[in-house]
Amino acid sequence: MRVPRSTLRRVFWRCLFLQAAWNRRGMQNLGFAYAIDPALRRLYADPARRREALRRHLGTFNCHPYTAAAIVGGAIHHEERVAAGEEPESAPLEYKQILQGPLAAVGDSFFWAGLRPFFGALAAAGTLALGWPALVVALVLYNALQMWLRWSFFRAGYRMGDAVVERVASLSLPRWAGRLRSGGAVLAGIAGGLLGARTTAGTAGFALALAAAGAFGGFFALSRGARLLPSAYGAIALGAVAALAFSRLGGGP
Amino acid sequence: MDYLLLALVAGLAAVERKGFLQAMLSRPVALAPVAGLALGDLHGGLVLGPPLELLWLGAVNLGAALPPHETLGAAAVTGGAVLAGRALGTGVTPAVACLTLALVAALAVLGRRTDSLIEEWNVRLAARAEALLEEGSPRAALRANLRGLLLPFAASFALAPLAAAVAAFAVPAALHRFPGARPPLAAGWAALCGFAAAAGARAFRAQRGFGLFAVSFALCAVAARLAGVWR
Repeated sequence: MRVPRSTLRRVFWRCLFLQAAWNRRGMQNLGFAYAIDPALRRLYADPARRREALRRHLGTFNCHPYTAAAIVGGAIHHEERVAAGEEPESAPLEYKQILQGPLAAVGDSFFWAGLRPFFGALAAAGTLALGWPALVVALVLYNALQMWLRWSFFRAGYRMGDAVVERVASLSLPRWAGRLRSGGAVLAGIAGGLLGARTTAGTAGFALALAAAGAFGGFFALSRGARLLPSAYGAIALGAVAALAFSRLGGGP
Repeated sequence: MDYLLLALVAGLAAVERKGFLQAMLSRPVALAPVAGLALGDLHGGLVLGPPLELLWLGAVNLGAALPPHETLGAAAVTGGAVLAGRALGTGVTPAVACLTLALVAALAVLGRRTDSLIEEWNVRLAARAEALLEEGSPRAALRANLRGLLLPFAASFALAPLAAAVAAFAVPAALHRFPGARPPLAAGWAALCGFAAAAGARAFRAQRGFGLFAVSFALCAVAARLAGVWR
């Protein structure tokens, strides 16, 4: 028996709630069971079998919320075979256990450490240069891309089962992540330059020098392991003290 | 009414941040303008969004590690700065932004602690769901997942307007009492903006990251300054 397309769409929608009840014991277990339930209802008419299937998916699970869509799709792929008696009941669980670690690593590295901060820096630079329309464009682009990838992962998992690994590998996400990180550093610099120029517009060059000092000194401090918020307070304090000292010397920011 | 709107925006953003969707709508760069718009000052939100985004660009939920609650911090800073700027009649100036951030940004750290408590609480939800499943109520068991959205909503709904209220009271009072503090605070904001950009660049951990960041920062700052586009 195959799960109908409308049910697959419903499962995908529910994947968006994967982390709704993230907990320290089972992590995304409740979210996974919630997401896959419409498919299980289709596959197991017998309430006892459905309950047993749900119990399987309440086991500990943790993955990146975007790439987890591939595992949800693949779990349905295996559940169809379990329901048809072609695979043992342990097959969907083994699939989840094998894939969750690698796909979490790929998702964290590409989406959380690459794509999302890249678009965050792009949105910041765009807002500073062009105003809110640039922000809207950046958000629309990011979401078109991430939703398309999530849906592609889900569909590939469902259609290909274990072979979804090859599909994900073919996207070369780690290589893209490296490029995004370099591009992101440039965008952060552009946003910082615009921010410094904008914040200090109409003042003497001293204020822009403070922004530059905050930028270069901050990068150095953070590279040496300084903590974010105390360093931010330190930057404010140093800027304020420098301005006071400068005004005492007869200048003024 | 302002505080209720801010509470709703902060609560919904907190849900979007982890429990549902994760479409960047809760990131500071998007949330600050929305919060500003809700309070009647879109421009103030647009001023605050980019530096807050850069400051917390590295705040990501990797594995089971919890980052600072950048959404709660951004909602509180934006709400506080917009309301303080309105009380002063100046809008969100660098001095207002700087003092507000200094007062309430630490809420992001408290938000991380709140997240941790919520994750502990959700263990009970999961246990309850398992019990309901054993009792033969699978639908009720799975509804527990959606109940997990309530606490993050409630925490930000309560904390963001509270912190904004503190800033909306304290910032105008301080700037009225010490008007000479405005120029040093504006200078502090300039330094903080530079630091925020550095924090953003550092979050990428790119090879040759400092070189890429420094060159683009310097070129862009000088070009923008020479062009005088914001004068």
